[in-house]
Amino acid sequence: MYRQGDVLIVPVAEEAVPSHVAAAPREPRDGRGRLVLALGEVTGHAHAVVGPGELVREPGPFGPFLLHLPQGGRVVHEEHGPIALPKGWFRVIRQREYVPGSVRIVAD
Amino acid sequence: MVASEVSEANGFWRACAARATPADRVAAEKGVRLAYRRAGLDEPERVVWAGSPREAVTLIRAMTDTGPSVRDAVRTTPWAAERARLHQELGAAGWSAHWGATGGRLWETTRSLVDRIRQGVLDDLLGTVPVPEPTADAEAPERLERKRARAEIQLILLDAVLGQHDAPWLAAFPTDRAPLDGLGEVCRTAGWWWPFAEVAVVCERPVTLTRDEAGRLDNGAGPALAFPDGFALYAWRGMPVPAAFLAELAALTPERIRAEENAELRRVMLEHYGYDRYLTDSGAQPIDRDETGTLWRISLAGDEAVVMVEVLNSTPEPDGTVRTYWLRVPPSTRTAREGVAWTFGVSAQEYQPLRET
Repeated sequence: MYRQGDVLIVPVAEEAVPSHVAAAPREPRDGRGRLVLALGEVTGHAHAVVGPGELVREPGPFGPFLLHLPQGGRVVHEEHGPIALPKGWFRVIRQREYVPGSVRIVAD
Repeated sequence: MVASEVSEANGFWRACAARATPADRVAAEKGVRLAYRRAGLDEPERVVWAGSPREAVTLIRAMTDTGPSVRDAVRTTPWAAERARLHQELGAAGWSAHWGATGGRLWETTRSLVDRIRQGVLDDLLGTVPVPEPTADAEAPERLERKRARAEIQLILLDAVLGQHDAPWLAAFPTDRAPLDGLGEVCRTAGWWWPFAEVAVVCERPVTLTRDEAGRLDNGAGPALAFPDGFALYAWRGMPVPAAFLAELAALTPERIRAEENAELRRVMLEHYGYDRYLTDSGAQPIDRDETGTLWRISLAGDEAVVMVEVLNSTPEPDGTVRTYWLRVPPSTRTAREGVAWTFGVSAQEYQPLRET
């Protein structure tokens, strides 16, 4: 697994990817042609993949996003070093914080 | 539209919803009049401007000649027609995917902002002081009056067309042609508005909107949302706080924090004061330290302990320093690794990053 700031990217075995994912809609790329894994609302800074790949919103235990990189790829962010990923499937997890009574998403 | 155009359009609508510059009154009034015509209605006799939703509600309550609300004809009917058309065109799954890629992206942040504004208007106009409890035989006249006023204000707030805050749903539809072109124009140029048969009341946009990266209202130094007439909301990382509370933050001491009885306000105080500073000032010792970070605990009288992991940002800042950040974790957490793993929803054994930046 790989951590870039508040995003954790966890390899998922191809056999473990739920079968409905094959037919699920793909997330659109942003204006710069990137797959955005997480976006900062104010700075617009993004954890993003450049290059070939697919991103699927996945509500189940393999969510909230599944990333497919058939040839491997690179995750970039304006404030964090890039991370090279091998080819395969990955679960993309956003960091959260404990709040008594609820849980909130972290924004770095 | 191809995917990159969808994404660019989302950025445009996102910016509309967050704009804090004066309304383009000429363009907005054109949009309002066009929306009436699209609904098959006569244009309103006049357009009245308000500095904020609060001022608009006050104006509307005082007006006697507005005529009935035409919100359904102006907004709801054309929205429903467009939604039905796209649903028909794309099928149920196609519509759901389209919504997920457009309006669904912007919905949550804008909806919570709208809810906060509604609540802020109610609180401002009614005050938050408690009213006398009802007696056995009759409700106090003051209480009845408050109830009536609250219901009246709530109804007016629900009758608003949201202007810039309609951006999430407008993002899913074409706005360069009938029937949504008028609504789209007001969205791009003004704030909330109220269409009545005889008059349209239109609001200015805010002059200040500060949010954190998660899109929550957030300002430790002044209002997080302010309108030109002075209507304002104060919040710290999304949590509503009284205006006077912010002034107090500058002069906090650990004793003052410990003495605060409201647990939520105490959390804000701790965040603002800085966990690291608080821990240093109160002589705290870390309860665990490993390669993932450091685990700290602050015991609080009459409340669950604050347990936090201090995490190193693996990428140094441009000046070579390494920023740390603090995340609160469940009070039962025993080790730093367990705490960091929890923040990602994985177990301490599973949490083994090969590489971190």
